[in-house]
Amino acid sequence: MTESTFFTTAFALYAAALIVYFASLFARREKWALLGIALAAGGLVSHTAALILRTVASGHAPFTNMYESLSFLSWAIVVALIVFGRKSRVPRLGPYLMLIVVGLVALASSPLMPKGATPLVPALQSYWLWLHVSVTLLGEAFFAVAFVSSLLYLAADTEEKKDKLDALSYRAVAVGFPLFTLGGLIFGMVWAYRAWGRYWAWDPKEVWSLITWFVFALYLHTRIVMGWKGKRSAWIAIAGFLAALFTYFGVNYLLTGLHSYA
Amino acid sequence: MKSAWKFFASVKLAIVLFILLTLASILGTLIPQGRSAAEYAARYGNLAGLLTSLQLTRLYQSGWYMILLFLFALNTAVCTVSRLGPKWRRAFRPVLDSNPQTLMAMKVKAKFRVPLALAPARDRIAGLLRSRHYRLDDSVRGNGIVLLARKRRLGGFGSDFVHLGLLVILAGGFMSGLGGRRADVALLEGQTADVPNAAFRVRLDKFETEYYPQGGVKDWKSTVTVLENGAPVLTRVVEVNHPLTYRGFSFYQTSYGWDWENSRLELLIRKRDDPAFSKGVSLKVGERAAVDSPEMTHVIVRRFVPDFVIGEGNQVQSRSQEPANPAAMVEAWKGEERVFSGWIFAKYPDFGQGHGANNTALDFVLKGFSPAPFSVLEAAKDPGVKFIWLGCLLVTAGFFLAFYWPSREIRIVLEEVQGKVEVTAGGHAAKSRETFQSEFDKIFESARRPA
Repeated sequence: MTESTFFTTAFALYAAALIVYFASLFARREKWALLGIALAAGGLVSHTAALILRTVASGHAPFTNMYESLSFLSWAIVVALIVFGRKSRVPRLGPYLMLIVVGLVALASSPLMPKGATPLVPALQSYWLWLHVSVTLLGEAFFAVAFVSSLLYLAADTEEKKDKLDALSYRAVAVGFPLFTLGGLIFGMVWAYRAWGRYWAWDPKEVWSLITWFVFALYLHTRIVMGWKGKRSAWIAIAGFLAALFTYFGVNYLLTGLHSYA
Repeated sequence: MKSAWKFFASVKLAIVLFILLTLASILGTLIPQGRSAAEYAARYGNLAGLLTSLQLTRLYQSGWYMILLFLFALNTAVCTVSRLGPKWRRAFRPVLDSNPQTLMAMKVKAKFRVPLALAPARDRIAGLLRSRHYRLDDSVRGNGIVLLARKRRLGGFGSDFVHLGLLVILAGGFMSGLGGRRADVALLEGQTADVPNAAFRVRLDKFETEYYPQGGVKDWKSTVTVLENGAPVLTRVVEVNHPLTYRGFSFYQTSYGWDWENSRLELLIRKRDDPAFSKGVSLKVGERAAVDSPEMTHVIVRRFVPDFVIGEGNQVQSRSQEPANPAAMVEAWKGEERVFSGWIFAKYPDFGQGHGANNTALDFVLKGFSPAPFSVLEAAKDPGVKFIWLGCLLVTAGFFLAFYWPSREIRIVLEEVQGKVEVTAGGHAAKSRETFQSEFDKIFESARRPA
């Protein structure tokens, strides 16, 4: 089987997981959600195979263009879902997170994204490509969990649900923020220093990752020191994820700078 | 002084600064930074002057952004220091005394009696706590014993490590800005050049560009030798992502090109009516080469461009430094009379014939060119960079402590009541309270069971 067969299989399994998840939600059959998780996990296995095959075929890390990084980001979100899904006891997390995953995979599969593996330009030939991109995207996947749980918080009707969602959102930030700081900012600085001779150049992508960092720092300070919780925290987490999304996606299309690889 | 301290010790100021820094940083990504005055004038019209005077075109280097960063640093420092004292005392000189009532008011708690004497009961509980890596302090309270068990005390200092790390990073950035030196050094193979501000020189021994089979650059490799007082000290290959570091200077492969000005050109002269006639000459721009034929005495190359294009004012320019459309301006002379003058193109040998001043029966073909490649290395000295890495380590360690090394504290009061020992315990964890609760329950379930 080829990379694209595995990728399409993963797409199909994720889509099936999405349908089963929502069916479980609307039919109020909590047991069905187990099937949803099983399908998502099956999709993850197939997706992992696709990423490995692509790495072997291209000889480099599978995140050097938009198609590859979208694929990896959706993979990371499924990982985050499996990490948090069962433990959080929030039945709505799976369906809505899966909605994002299916959206990202659909975008990656769309004709807008060239799928060919191109040889690496000299600046990208570094093991820091692995460390910088994978850890950053993994951090952003946990921001996606915080984003979904914050949106669900704003829509929740009972205090019990709200408490769970608020705690889940914080736990996701507590995993995502250190990963994002390490991968996005610190590994990014180390690599920039090796490749370009400067650890910080105020390139738009760098500035936007700093902005994302400021927003989540604001989240933690208002929460831990000033005791903000609930609604206001939820809005900050939403803003933080949107900033992360803009850093990852928007900067490439709307602003120009050094990070013009993808 | 006191009110200034209070002002900077406030987390509210930190919140305001986070928001201001975020907004300012966003603004800097919307306005292109560090472009020419003409570009701003074209883009923003009358607003260009205002943007420049508010330093919005060099926002991240502007005085007011520096002030924001400085306030942010001061705020971070004062906030951290003002909270460190009490935190330190709690961690290293804790109040040992506790009473059963306060313990029972805690969220994680237990109360039971064990049929043991005071000392064995204490030893039993202490042993259980030690096996779970708790450190113990104890004291006598009335006719009982108070135990204080704690672990991962450093966890409470995670945020302080992060803050210290950020201050070190900001200091490093400041030093880079003030003391950083960088300059481009362009070298042809075999050339030696001074490194600005350094007491040594560098020589380029070899420069290679490697291509992928399917096209596209795979790598640039500069073999560089460092010379001290004219004597070679070390030789290294510099590639992108593999800089050479010597005496505080780092050399990066940043650019490359060809020395077109000094390129040797190969021309072929042919006669239209005599296919057997073919004469090759080799010359540089400005040089003349003798041609022994009835039609002319010599040829001269006036100009050469690697990427021919007609630019503004019908002037010939080179669009790039790549040999995309190499062209030479050639003249042929017969004694004092110019018999041909025109551009010839390496990629379009049939184009341009007949553009000459005089129509001749001669064809000129630009057959080859062999420019010497040069490599551009950036020589950089950055005194702040060590601090940046130190700061990054502190931040990473701080995050680990803050999020994954949560401090835990259990206080226990043991009192003799009716020949038994009554145990009252209350616990507190900075984070992951569920795992703490289960650990707490396991400890006191074992303590409750008869030995």
